[in-house]
Amino acid sequence: MPDDAMTPRERVLKLFAGEKIDRPPCFSGMGNVTTEGLKKFGYKFAAVHSDAKMMADAAASTYKLFGFECGVVPFDLCVEAEALGCAVNVYSHVEDILYPTIKTKLVNSEDEMDIAIPSGLTERGRVPLMREAIGLMKKDIGGEVVAGAHVLGPFTLAGQVMELNTLLKLSFKKPDKVGKLLDKLADALIIIAKEYEKAGADYITVREMGATSDVLSPRVFKTLILPYLQKIFSKLELNTVLHICGKTNDIAVFMLDSGAKAISVDQKNDVAETRKKIGDSALLFGNYDPYNVLVSGTTDQVRETIKQCMNNGVSAVWPGCDIWPTVPPANFNAMMDEVKQYRR
Amino acid sequence: MATEERRKEILETLKNAVIQYDEDAAKEFSQMALDEGMDANDAIFNGLVSGMEEVGRLFEAQEYFVPELLMCADALYVGLDILKPHVKQLDLGIRGSVVIGTVEGDVHDIGKNIVKMMFDVAGFQVYDLGKDVPLDKFVEEHMKTHSDLVCLSAMMTTTMVGMKKVIDDLKAKNPDVKIMIGGAPVSQDIAEKWGADGYSPDATNALKDAINMISSLKKMKEEAEAKKGS
Repeated sequence: MPDDAMTPRERVLKLFAGEKIDRPPCFSGMGNVTTEGLKKFGYKFAAVHSDAKMMADAAASTYKLFGFECGVVPFDLCVEAEALGCAVNVYSHVEDILYPTIKTKLVNSEDEMDIAIPSGLTERGRVPLMREAIGLMKKDIGGEVVAGAHVLGPFTLAGQVMELNTLLKLSFKKPDKVGKLLDKLADALIIIAKEYEKAGADYITVREMGATSDVLSPRVFKTLILPYLQKIFSKLELNTVLHICGKTNDIAVFMLDSGAKAISVDQKNDVAETRKKIGDSALLFGNYDPYNVLVSGTTDQVRETIKQCMNNGVSAVWPGCDIWPTVPPANFNAMMDEVKQYRR
Repeated sequence: MATEERRKEILETLKNAVIQYDEDAAKEFSQMALDEGMDANDAIFNGLVSGMEEVGRLFEAQEYFVPELLMCADALYVGLDILKPHVKQLDLGIRGSVVIGTVEGDVHDIGKNIVKMMFDVAGFQVYDLGKDVPLDKFVEEHMKTHSDLVCLSAMMTTTMVGMKKVIDDLKAKNPDVKIMIGGAPVSQDIAEKWGADGYSPDATNALKDAINMISSLKKMKEEAEAKKGS
């Protein structure tokens, strides 16, 4: 069996290193906790965000249950804004699955955009908890699979620390002012990402979905967003992925220019076209729909979609967003099986 | 009364004010329309809304993106605030009311606000619940207001799932209510499966749908007026 030729961990690391591998890995840089995994431990979704052991257990369970080829923390997108001083709502009163959101803004008007990054950022909010969770997860499954973490991109983070409407309008009216804020946020993100690296993360995904071409023009992406992504990627030494969802065909080349080792796109991207544009050697991760296919599709639809992704030229089979927790085990297994059977 | 030539000039300026997100011009010429005795409806529909129709086209052609759209909406609202108190109630046989909001867990409201704006323009009574709205609140507000429509918005896959529960609850309490769902992760398939009456996957489509709705209102108004004239 060629699958025994290397562990999932070796396969992903070789992929990042540009070495030849037998098949695309099937992993993600975004949250992939499942309700099956939570059930195994008797954990509530609302509780796993604020306990390092629970977070690490839940993150490792997707590999243990389905053979998914990574472990990734956190599951929410609020760690960075929280460390900067925003309050977070984890919806502890809700039985269903709701992801935490930001409750209070840091910047309430255009005049308050000149923020200072608090000192001791790595000891604020849940950054210490993340450090611990990465360590625990790495100890648990790190010998077999890669350990990943993610941070937001500066623009998406800016959309959390201030009103998104205002940010979007200012990015058009006063790009210099927005640029200054993004520069500071990029510094904060570098500090946090480096901390994750120190804690043992093998790769980090920067999620800049706020700057998708569904929202911002490719021109604004290039002039206002890209420079700060480049700043971040130039400062990080571990393996990096830039994820942007939505319409990304027009910015795929810019995404690669960011200096990220790999780019990640979702189901709205025409991957075959992107592959042609960026050439054979660039790392392109994607791009199945984690809800409409993986959760609500049939196993046949899952297999068909996954095969299509690989035929279109993805370097790794990877979801367009967080894996939605209620994914049926049969669908998860079908995905893993389809990837393992695939040969270039 | 403004001459026909002057009327056209004011309408054209209002239209361009929206397209070029010029709030000052929208303000000045909305006031001028009133001062010169123009019909407020005329100024809204053939001036401001015509501009927004063009903005919709520019958005679809990817010449405009969300920041431009938001600025155009601001200009439209500046004009609307001035003109709306002077609108004579249209007797179209429609008295629309809508409960609208973004579902709990989702703090994004740009798409919702664009749809809300078009309802405002169309003269709907809008009950805006805002963002991150607890699911029960939609049902509660609908039962309280007896709205014709309920619009649910979700920007993320992670919050879309809550819509199903709201749809089930609403339909159980009032089978006649019309439900529209919208947002990036929503699909025709999901709308059908969950029993929603309509859907919009993104701001472009939401805007298009809303404009179509307004355009058909405009047509009905013209037909009603033609009938009156004959």
